[in-house]
Amino acid sequence: MPVVVAVLAAGCSAAVDPGDVGLLPAITPGEVQELLAGSTEPVVLNVWASWCIPCRSEAPLLREAQASFGGEIRFVGISVRDSQRSARSFLNEFGLDSFEQFFDRDGVVPGTLGGRGVPHKFFFAPGGELLELHFGVIDERTLALNLDELLRRGS
Amino acid sequence: MEFTLLWGALAGVGGLYLALRWMARKDTTLCVGDLWDIALGAGIAGLAVGRLAAMIRQGVNPLAHAGDVILIRAGVDTVAASAAALGTAAWLGRRNLREQLDGMAPAVLVGLAGWHLGCLLRESCLGTASSLPWAWAQSGSEITRHPVELYTAAILLIGGHFLFRLRLRYPAPGTIAGAGLAVAGLSRLATEPMRVSLFGGPVGWYLVALIGGATAAIWAATRPRPEPAEDG
Repeated sequence: MPVVVAVLAAGCSAAVDPGDVGLLPAITPGEVQELLAGSTEPVVLNVWASWCIPCRSEAPLLREAQASFGGEIRFVGISVRDSQRSARSFLNEFGLDSFEQFFDRDGVVPGTLGGRGVPHKFFFAPGGELLELHFGVIDERTLALNLDELLRRGS
Repeated sequence: MEFTLLWGALAGVGGLYLALRWMARKDTTLCVGDLWDIALGAGIAGLAVGRLAAMIRQGVNPLAHAGDVILIRAGVDTVAASAAALGTAAWLGRRNLREQLDGMAPAVLVGLAGWHLGCLLRESCLGTASSLPWAWAQSGSEITRHPVELYTAAILLIGGHFLFRLRLRYPAPGTIAGAGLAVAGLSRLATEPMRVSLFGGPVGWYLVALIGGATAAIWAATRPRPEPAEDG
């Protein structure tokens, strides 16, 4: 019964505010290329938006993955075609503020890397070689397999 | 949007249906229509409850985000789904419970095998790294891995075939159903070490299914059978 009450209460709560999440820095295609080329760790680059329902569904999984592998793999997020306030509220709601997060209002960056739609994830080896591009919601096993590939091929 | 999970689900449902039809050709006591209804109802209930449980576990409010229920790929809680499916099957087949579950168990194992074989359609068969001759790599990689989903499917298919052969010898009611649960638990328990996972599977629950199913099968098999009623 307490669980039901808690769920109902949460369902009726007001929209989440951005909390302490600061303004997300804007990023350009050139800056992303520099970030990837200069990274000495493998990179998971997640393209998301606060209005994207599948992004919300996979957010807890990505948070757990970052908590487990954040020391070995660099987790980067890019919010696309979004507003700063909505994006920051999303990060606050799902505790994703420990990712390196960037803002791409016009959504041009993912296209230059071969991405399309939202969400999708790029898996890069150190130095920026693209190992895998996953479109749509990612499930736990697929994410775990790709992280394992990153760690093995990146070492 | 990806629909590859749907192909896996269709492989599972198709496997279940074909197995029921094939069994009915060999065993004329089977009522395929009833068993199909029970199995499908149990599967749908299990999927819905498992998805809701996964959402709650992940901190996604199912009331505030009801539409997220359809995002199966974002996670289904295996234990909740299995419990709901078993409960629903027991409820739907309550008038003749043990016989209905016995009739369904081999086909359900084949259906589960179909679901795991569906990994070939969604390119997600692989597990931990391996240098065994039959290991293979995902596209673009040189790291060969166990085709762990195929191992699971093989155990389920062998188990389903064995149980169907056993069924033709008319064991005591409940024996096949218990053994089916044990095979399902075994198929996951034996392959779990070869799966890549962030959190690990619910190994304890797989063990519960294996031991519980085996115990139920032995208990059912060793119970005295009711004497046939005598006329006049």
